[in-house]
Amino acid sequence: MGAGLTSFDCNTHTTREINSWLRQHSDASVLGETLSVVLLNPDSRHNLGVGLVKPLKILIEGPVGYYCAGLCDGIEVEIAGGAGWGLAENLMGGKVVLHGSAGSAAGATMRGGLVVIHGDAGARCGVAMKGGTLLVTGDVGVMSSFMMQKGALIIGGDADHALGDSLYEGKIYLRGEAASLGADARIAELNANDVAFLSGTFLQAGVDFSPDDFKKVESARRLYNFDTKEKEIWKQAL
Amino acid sequence: MPIDDRQPSRIWDESSIHDIQEKARLGRYRIRAFSTSRALPTLEDLTFIPSGLTRVPLEGYRETCSTEITLGGRFAGKPLKLKTPITIAGMSYGALSRNAKEALGLGASAAGTSTCTGDGGMHPTDREYSQTLVYQCLPSRYGFNPHDVMRADAIEIVVGQGAKPGTGGLLLGQKVSPEIAGMRDLPDGVDQRSPCRHPDWMGPEDLAIKIEELREATDWQKPIYVKLGAARVYEDVKLAAKAGADCVVVDGMEGGTAASPDVLLDHTGIPTLAAICEAARALEDMGLTGEVQLIACGGIKSGVDAAKALALGADAVAIGTAAIIALNCNAPLWLEDYEAMGTRAGACHHCHTGRCPVGVATQDPELVKRLNVQEAAERVENFLHAMTLEMQIMARACGKSHVGNLDRDDLRALTLESALVTGIPLAGMRQPLVPQHVASLMGAL
Repeated sequence: MGAGLTSFDCNTHTTREINSWLRQHSDASVLGETLSVVLLNPDSRHNLGVGLVKPLKILIEGPVGYYCAGLCDGIEVEIAGGAGWGLAENLMGGKVVLHGSAGSAAGATMRGGLVVIHGDAGARCGVAMKGGTLLVTGDVGVMSSFMMQKGALIIGGDADHALGDSLYEGKIYLRGEAASLGADARIAELNANDVAFLSGTFLQAGVDFSPDDFKKVESARRLYNFDTKEKEIWKQAL
Repeated sequence: MPIDDRQPSRIWDESSIHDIQEKARLGRYRIRAFSTSRALPTLEDLTFIPSGLTRVPLEGYRETCSTEITLGGRFAGKPLKLKTPITIAGMSYGALSRNAKEALGLGASAAGTSTCTGDGGMHPTDREYSQTLVYQCLPSRYGFNPHDVMRADAIEIVVGQGAKPGTGGLLLGQKVSPEIAGMRDLPDGVDQRSPCRHPDWMGPEDLAIKIEELREATDWQKPIYVKLGAARVYEDVKLAAKAGADCVVVDGMEGGTAASPDVLLDHTGIPTLAAICEAARALEDMGLTGEVQLIACGGIKSGVDAAKALALGADAVAIGTAAIIALNCNAPLWLEDYEAMGTRAGACHHCHTGRCPVGVATQDPELVKRLNVQEAAERVENFLHAMTLEMQIMARACGKSHVGNLDRDDLRALTLESALVTGIPLAGMRQPLVPQHVASLMGAL
């Protein structure tokens, strides 16, 4: 993986030096000629590849810590290992692929782009998403997609309790079962647009799923505005 | 006890009866804006003890008394350099009108100080009108994005706010206009109830990593503040400082809001007076006084309040409600519109309705037009200037050539309560009250 590409050994550098090196390469990338680089020995270091807003392809050969590829736009990151909390948080655009499992809050508040986790994701994955697509091939933890506003979470496995609590206009596509749905979430049938979206995303992500195996979770929109006639819902709502 | 048929009960007074009947009508907690209406120990309960024979004052109207301050120099490569230690607190576009935000930016810039985005992201004119702009990173992350992080001059991670510590923001549907909804990625007209926990970190150990992320994303150039609603201030300030904050903002329970459940306004948090003292003591105990800077806010109304805050240990203050009052909030204009809401100028706390008669806290285009940006900006600049002059007067009277040199020895407490809260000697005493004194006083009673 990444043979022949420009590489940087995390073992012998500070986080600031690693990110400065990435930023230099990101700045050097020009439209149509995105540079590719490799990070070696990440050793679960936090905050690798954060705040990059110009194109760059990064291969990370090992596990990463918190917030890898956070606060980025237009980058492509592939990680050969697991990730800590907040993988690709607030991603604006681009693609992040994880070959391993992610800790809590993967894809939190992301606003664009595609994040693919070839494994499981912890609690609150896709929390407060505002756009983009988060695809988890395995299971997801409790309260995933809490207060998700826009975008899509695709779950290849099962979901723990309170899936989709307090959803707004985001969509969840679930292949397995949810231990429970969160406040104001409901199961809905897929429509033609959903099927087309899922098919295209599976193709882009290179995963072998069929849209026919998925159901949709969406907001029932009963929490959008205060209503004195819905007292029981408001007692449960967060 | 004889019964007076015309006299309300002291227990079931008219206010309590109205409160119960309102909740019986609404079926939920009541919501209002502004700030707590409780009587609290405040900075008003302190007085300066200026120079006499023991100290020499500076000439009150002539001699130099500096007000400049640099904020965020602990770790940031580009700390903020302000001409006055009075800054504008975070107030969102959504809670306030676009005209109000622009006027705050222009007025603060003219006065040489910073403004703050508040919730809901950075509107292009926030950046355009504010020379020095602090960008809030809130639990909601509405509109938050790396491009604006780069454009900001400092970043403020909001853990809580004084008006409602422990609870997220609230913006009722009547103020969630299509533009506001678009900026926040929300459906039009939704009752926006913001989260109170950050989506990607939980405790102080995580916060340290989050701060490092923001530093890495900004190449360690931008100051990072952590804003706390005043509750367990001593512990929270220590944790924020340990997590790596450049500045800690402590917002007392007098802090304002454009919408909140009223029970939170009146029954959560601790007063600004107490919060400043706890925060200053926390930094002192860590040996970080001056290195981690303290910004105090919550009910600061004047330059005298600001000077007292600095004397108690703050490095700077932030004003929110006072700034919007300078814009025209509660001004005696359009009186019939106040009356239509069941209130009057000087007593209005109806920002949450979106029907602000003076165009400050509304998204109604016709009401917004009532606030002239240039005139309002001049009032904000004037008010900041007046506050700064008041601070200088106090500092000079105490013989200080920089407002930041004011200290606790310049103060005395006017009430037993404030003496106990602050540890400042009661007027007429030379030493702070200690528990033995209190026990003795209680015994005497």
